[in-house]
Amino acid sequence: MKISKKIIDNLKKGGVDFYLSVPCKLLANMIDILENDKDVYYSAVPREEEGMGICAGAYLGNKFPCIMMQNTGIGNSVNAIVSLLQLYQMPVVFLISYRGTPGEPVGAQGGMAKITEDILQTLRIPMLHCSSEKELDKISTFSKHAKVVESPVAILCDFNLMKDDK
Amino acid sequence: MNRFDLLNKVQNILKNNLVICNIGLPSQELYKISDQPNFFYMLGSMGLSSSIGLGLALSQNKHVISIDGDGSVLMNMNTLATIGNRAPSNYTLLIIDNGSYGSTGDQRTFTDEKTSLKDVALGAGCKNVIECSGEETVNELNKAIDDKDNSYVIISKINSGNVKIDPIPLNPITIRDRFRKFIGKVKYL
Repeated sequence: MKISKKIIDNLKKGGVDFYLSVPCKLLANMIDILENDKDVYYSAVPREEEGMGICAGAYLGNKFPCIMMQNTGIGNSVNAIVSLLQLYQMPVVFLISYRGTPGEPVGAQGGMAKITEDILQTLRIPMLHCSSEKELDKISTFSKHAKVVESPVAILCDFNLMKDDK
Repeated sequence: MNRFDLLNKVQNILKNNLVICNIGLPSQELYKISDQPNFFYMLGSMGLSSSIGLGLALSQNKHVISIDGDGSVLMNMNTLATIGNRAPSNYTLLIIDNGSYGSTGDQRTFTDEKTSLKDVALGAGCKNVIECSGEETVNELNKAIDDKDNSYVIISKINSGNVKIDPIPLNPITIRDRFRKFIGKVKYL
């Protein structure tokens, strides 16, 4: 819970006040925290691409949105990212559980893991890769950076960082 | 009645609300009928008008009308479940259902065959789902906006057919900034 709490605290410190998620077991603690947080909006959504649309609307309404998802969700959302968030220069934080990184028990997750950073790089989305607890301190500044550059940004949280966060 | 006729009929209602307008001909036709700063024209991301409008309605208090099409809703049907469970009362989804992919050459969609978006929306959890003719749409839209306790999904059944029209000349950042300025929450705009 300590890691998850730190991530949410830093996102809030960065100004993020609107949260969506397509659940992942590595995000479960963060979802619990957000469901009990009266200061911010939180909802689950069925699909990441749709979540990109809801985040775009939230930004138009002057919220600072974050969508939490597995890295597989980036694959589901490429056109929405390029033709909506980037076209209109909308800051949105992607908080990504980086499935398929070392420690991952599910072999099938490896495929998207191998290309996740390539996709983000191709999309020119700034990345913060968190593999240890100390990197989580950068999340608030990194989130503010999304607003400054008017762009989506991606925070990748490794499997091994999240898995023991009981 | 086709989409252009319908947009003409509802334009006075749209002018008084925040509007997210679907990509392609719907936005181009609306722009030609009457360009307003409170109209957000989608230039990409087919399927997401309903979702963008939902996020906007959840984030501020003004009434939001998402103008969507049958082809676009078929592309993002999961959002009806999100709307059914989460839409606030300042949200109306207007689905212009002409049974065809108008912007790509009027190919038939499944709503011209067996699919009922009304049944899908009801099954997804939307409570106030109205299916009506183009002529009835003005009245149904007004009722939806006047009801301060409920959100609505209005499916307006019209004929296919488009008018010859140019792409929207506005820059996306212009569309974005004047829309956010209209909402009035951003101090620097």
